[in-house]
Amino acid sequence: MPIDNMSGPRPDYSRYMDIEKGWVDRRIFADQAIYEQELYQIFARCWLFLAHDSQIPKPGDFITTHMGEDGVIVVRQKDNSVKAFLNSCTHRGNKVCHADAGNARRFVCNYHGWSFDNAGELKGMHEEYCYEEGDINKEDWGLKQVAQIDSYKGLIFATFDESAPSLEAFLGDFRWYLDALLDNEEGGTEFVGGTIKSVMGANWKFGVENFIGDAYHAGWTHDSGCRAMNNGEPFPPIDMQNSFHASVNGHGWEFGMEGVGDIFLLGRPKVMEYYERIRPAMEKRLGAVRSKIFGSVASASIFPNVSFLPGIHTFRTWNPKGPYELELKTWVIVNKEMAEEIKDDITKGVMCTFGPGGAFEMDDGENWENCTQVNRGVVTRQEKLHYACGISRKIDHPDMPGIVYRGQYNDSNQRLFYQRWADMMNAQGWDDVPERYKSKLAGRSTRDIPTMKSA
Amino acid sequence: MSLPAYILETGNAVASPELISEVEQRLYREMRYLDDEEYRKWTGMMTDDVHYFMPGIETVYRRNKMDQLNDLSRMAFYNDNLEELGKRIDRLETGTAWSEDPATRYCHIISNIEVETTDNPDEVLVYSNFLVYRNRLARDEDTLIGNRKDIWRREEGVLKLAKRRILLKQNVLISKNLNVYF
Repeated sequence: MPIDNMSGPRPDYSRYMDIEKGWVDRRIFADQAIYEQELYQIFARCWLFLAHDSQIPKPGDFITTHMGEDGVIVVRQKDNSVKAFLNSCTHRGNKVCHADAGNARRFVCNYHGWSFDNAGELKGMHEEYCYEEGDINKEDWGLKQVAQIDSYKGLIFATFDESAPSLEAFLGDFRWYLDALLDNEEGGTEFVGGTIKSVMGANWKFGVENFIGDAYHAGWTHDSGCRAMNNGEPFPPIDMQNSFHASVNGHGWEFGMEGVGDIFLLGRPKVMEYYERIRPAMEKRLGAVRSKIFGSVASASIFPNVSFLPGIHTFRTWNPKGPYELELKTWVIVNKEMAEEIKDDITKGVMCTFGPGGAFEMDDGENWENCTQVNRGVVTRQEKLHYACGISRKIDHPDMPGIVYRGQYNDSNQRLFYQRWADMMNAQGWDDVPERYKSKLAGRSTRDIPTMKSA
Repeated sequence: MSLPAYILETGNAVASPELISEVEQRLYREMRYLDDEEYRKWTGMMTDDVHYFMPGIETVYRRNKMDQLNDLSRMAFYNDNLEELGKRIDRLETGTAWSEDPATRYCHIISNIEVETTDNPDEVLVYSNFLVYRNRLARDEDTLIGNRKDIWRREEGVLKLAKRRILLKQNVLISKNLNVYF
């Protein structure tokens, strides 16, 4: 059963945009009722990123996070599987865990001492004698588990919707692109220690849409950051012929094919050397196309709220806190095989560029806050926003799966993100969610298919 | 005049009143430079091998003995040498740092200053607390509060900042960015 949405009939959310003409209605960034529906229709149904495997390596290791506005605890089990359940006691609802991370055998509520094991089962209560036989069956009062949990190459996801398709189907052919980040070297990836969190007075979708396909802003918004990290030089011009947007199920990756741009922006020569060294092996592993996608000027988002910069190594989620606020959680993603020295260098580079005090990140927050806050004006809120850049540049690419557009300066990934958004908002169940692209992978594993041609 | 022994916690001696006063004046000057956006003058008060460190702090239970305050391999708001700090300041001088134009209004307040001697006669250990107020545009404001632990080193007669660890007393940075130094 999907999570019960008791708010009655909903409007047709497609009316808030015209994907063919290329505009989006600003009310989706401002309206409280639309926001509430997002929590039901998107965050209570989609697969959401919880943690990287490396954050909880040992049994009992846990992190706390949010799925939409629902707080959850994510715990490594004795058998190495992972469970995730609501961080809310079944007695009066208090949180049972107040830490961001740690290791625990039990989660004990501070209010009445109800005690849950690290699988979420109710194991005991303070002064348990006060319950007569028949008052409580402990097996029925464990912490509410997510409906499904699974991982893809180190990234752990869960959904509250038991009718949701598999994670593999949810990611679809986007896995082919994800491998460029997650599987470009034997051993895969890990997160560096720590999580940096910050708040912005911005709608969560502005962060996602920026990373999903807004190469266009970089040369202007981040001119100062680029010059600072790059000895005074501005962003080099992009190659509109040989750069792309690719969209699958609302996920999106925009990228050049020059192979080095994002690594260069990190501003760490040792990291550049590292990738030059492993590039031939990467090409063998992923094929020529994907080994060029990785490291190029690029950015990506996984629907609904995960983003990352391959080559710059920042990985993040945009967590909804009402229409006018988001909480940004960021991590540093590195390859396990890297020497500690390279990992440290990357971590410093990420914090100099895309930490809250980073030369690039600094200028984004204020833009998104103002894009959001202006919509408090009810007249402003009724105005459309323009999303038609590159609307005629759709192509069939022989190698690249998904819906592909030519030219990195393009709104196509954003248009398709909002199309997926409307599809999810309108759907009564997953059967109503239309398939907007034709899968080339069709369930096959992705690393073994370096290019579509040879597949 | 010497301070009573009970103030000493680290076992190091409290510096002389003259030295304390000299350090205080350096701390205040630094913060005046930051209030006035005189960033090159600010970094000019640092040694060439300065380490400027502000770790990110996760909320953990008391039983968790992970050392978040000193582990340089974890994520940090700042973990900079002079060159890296310089690049951040380069950004401000490009003329295209849009989120700094119109200018942000800063006020840095420093208190709870303690100065102790160290085994190195040229270096002193300095504790202080900060309150940094930041206000920009119409009503955009942040108040950032925390502690600092510094090493100041005398080079050619002048006290310079050689190490600084900043502990901001927030788990979630309650701000859209951190275009501020401490």
